[in-house]
Amino acid sequence: MAAPNVRTSSFSRNISVVSSSPQIPGLKCGPNGTTFISTGIRDLDRILGGGYPLGSLVMVMEDPEAPHHMDLLRTFMSQGLVNNHPLLYASPSKDPRGFLGTLPNPGSSKEDKPTAPDLDQGESLRIAWQYRKYMENQKSSIDDYSNDFDMRKPLERQFLAGRPIDCVSLLDSSDLSVAQDHCATFLSKFPRLNSSNIASIGRIAIQSFCSPLCEYSDKESDMLSFIRLLKSMLMVSNAVAIVTFPPSMLSPSSSTRLQHMADTLLSIKAIPDGDKELEKLLTGYKDINGFLNIHKVARINTQVPVIPEAKTFSMSLKKRRFLALECLNQAPVDGSSGTSYGTSGSCSGSSKSGALDF
Amino acid sequence: MADSIFRKLRDGGEEGELAPALTIEETVASPFALDVSCYLLANLSSSILAGKSKSEGLVLVTFSRSPSFYLQFLKQKGIFVSSSSKWIRVLDCYTDPLGWIDQPSPGVITEGSSLIKLHKCVSDLKRLFSSIIEAGREMVGDGKTRFSVAIDSVNELLRHSSMPLVSGLLTDLRSHAQVSSLFWSLNTDLHQEKVTNALEYISTMKANLEPFCPSSDGKRNALENLFLVHQDFGKGQFHIRFKLRKGRVRVMSEEYHVDQTGINFSPISSVETIIAATKSLIPKVHFNLQLSEKERVEKEKVVLPFEHQDHGKSTEIYDGRRTLADGKTEATPLSSGELQADVVSSGKGGEIIYFRDSDDEHPDSDEDPDDDLDI
Repeated sequence: MAAPNVRTSSFSRNISVVSSSPQIPGLKCGPNGTTFISTGIRDLDRILGGGYPLGSLVMVMEDPEAPHHMDLLRTFMSQGLVNNHPLLYASPSKDPRGFLGTLPNPGSSKEDKPTAPDLDQGESLRIAWQYRKYMENQKSSIDDYSNDFDMRKPLERQFLAGRPIDCVSLLDSSDLSVAQDHCATFLSKFPRLNSSNIASIGRIAIQSFCSPLCEYSDKESDMLSFIRLLKSMLMVSNAVAIVTFPPSMLSPSSSTRLQHMADTLLSIKAIPDGDKELEKLLTGYKDINGFLNIHKVARINTQVPVIPEAKTFSMSLKKRRFLALECLNQAPVDGSSGTSYGTSGSCSGSSKSGALDF
Repeated sequence: MADSIFRKLRDGGEEGELAPALTIEETVASPFALDVSCYLLANLSSSILAGKSKSEGLVLVTFSRSPSFYLQFLKQKGIFVSSSSKWIRVLDCYTDPLGWIDQPSPGVITEGSSLIKLHKCVSDLKRLFSSIIEAGREMVGDGKTRFSVAIDSVNELLRHSSMPLVSGLLTDLRSHAQVSSLFWSLNTDLHQEKVTNALEYISTMKANLEPFCPSSDGKRNALENLFLVHQDFGKGQFHIRFKLRKGRVRVMSEEYHVDQTGINFSPISSVETIIAATKSLIPKVHFNLQLSEKERVEKEKVVLPFEHQDHGKSTEIYDGRRTLADGKTEATPLSSGELQADVVSSGKGGEIIYFRDSDDEHPDSDEDPDDDLDI
């Protein structure tokens, strides 16, 4: 009765590269029956294990002193437009359509990435173990899933014209009912009927949700119920919503509740300029614009959490155009300075000399 | 450092960008925001008069002091304001903010008929906004010339209106094409933290005044503390945070000292007061795992354990201890089948004597212990 199931190893592949419905670009199958869409930043896709899973709510905690959450929103929205996903954008400004002019264009990144080892040639990677013959080459990333965006070039007209983009200003009404109606009508177009047949997917981007300019900003229970409603609508649709909010605008208990409601929680931190200590501590301090912290990564249909390789990443612009997220690298500590920061519990301990002995 | 704020305000913002805005925060223990405002006012006025500033006029909206106070202060500083001055306008929200006094001619008051305008009905912020813009336009006209706006303090504004409306007003002022810069002051002890955070959110620069010793509220028996507080009352630290375009924050600190003539700034005397916030930012930093050229060359030379199996000849295993001065490490030839003892010296006096377990067979033989597994 059981169909013959031949397995060569007990491992099952985590990532399969073919998208489930060929007519919808930009989807990728993930583990446990989830489907991913790209965040717009290749590094972030890799850190989060594939991208944002459909049906999840992503919240980004802003730092009032740094505008980097806008970059996350921009790449998300641009990726959606490039892949032709319908988009709903809400922001506390009088003319939200103006933001569409600042979206980046996919850049043709022809530069080599020296960091990625070239696995096609077997000699460059030397493995000192007997089972090297079982190693397989990893396939290179597919282009229609995610793009590298050139932050300095505005998005081309072909991606903006005729696309279903809905813009809502959060300043229009004194409460959230207008925004709620827009979200409800938008999400009703992407119902999740069965997981294998995805008709279309949508993206929602809400910027500065608790901005002090909005009239509802002191009604915290209204804001919490809006997010709760959005999350419940998302769970039964094929869409992803990204909401940015400044946590200092809320009371601590509301801020904590909002953070708990998120499926994926990121936060942005500004860095001080001209700080001598940081310059000594980090390599590449001059290029770093800010830090991105990963607090929570969405896991659907499973109880096993994702433990990322690091919780803090530096945001920088490679060649002044392409957003890159990198692990923080400590500059070599010279012998004269006795203390080293950031050695809480890690095996680097107190390194006193330049030679590293492992 | 206070100079740098003044310069930012004087230079204003770029075309098409929101105007730079400064929040001056004071506390009950260091209530000198008024002095800082006056300092900035005097500097801005003199630069406008000298023609060095991008803005050609100044609109002063007074809430906590009467207009005559400011005019007198400016006179003290050598800047004379008469009714025919074209570079300054004062919006008087101090005398009668809620419109309780009936006046036959509600628009105009005393000397300086066009200089000082009485503004009633402070709670209607849309009208306040239009009055400010009107006053500005009176000075500089309707074209592209710009003016600066100084709001005495927003404490009174927040008393009469809610937070969203006040921040809406300030943001509208910032986004108006003719406003080149804007500043206001606030007492953080009078408001909730949310309000302070919201005002910091919409401003590009934040200055706060801190006393030297922390206020000892609640300590009844600390007479010495009281004495210290009293002694140090006019002095403290002045911290500034600038939001830069790239997304970084520039932090500067100075000491201030208030006396009869006003407020004076001086650089920080003791270094320890600057707190290194870096420790909180970086939880765990990894070492750089990239290889430099030299390291790559060294790596090529290492012979890995299973790599020499197919060659059929013995090789010396390079274990990278050439850097040590004593070359006591022996790489014993693999073909000898005798009892082998590797003596490894760590170079520091200790010795490790290692007897290999399976010495009767060739080390690193080709036998794969997993070969007898039958999957």
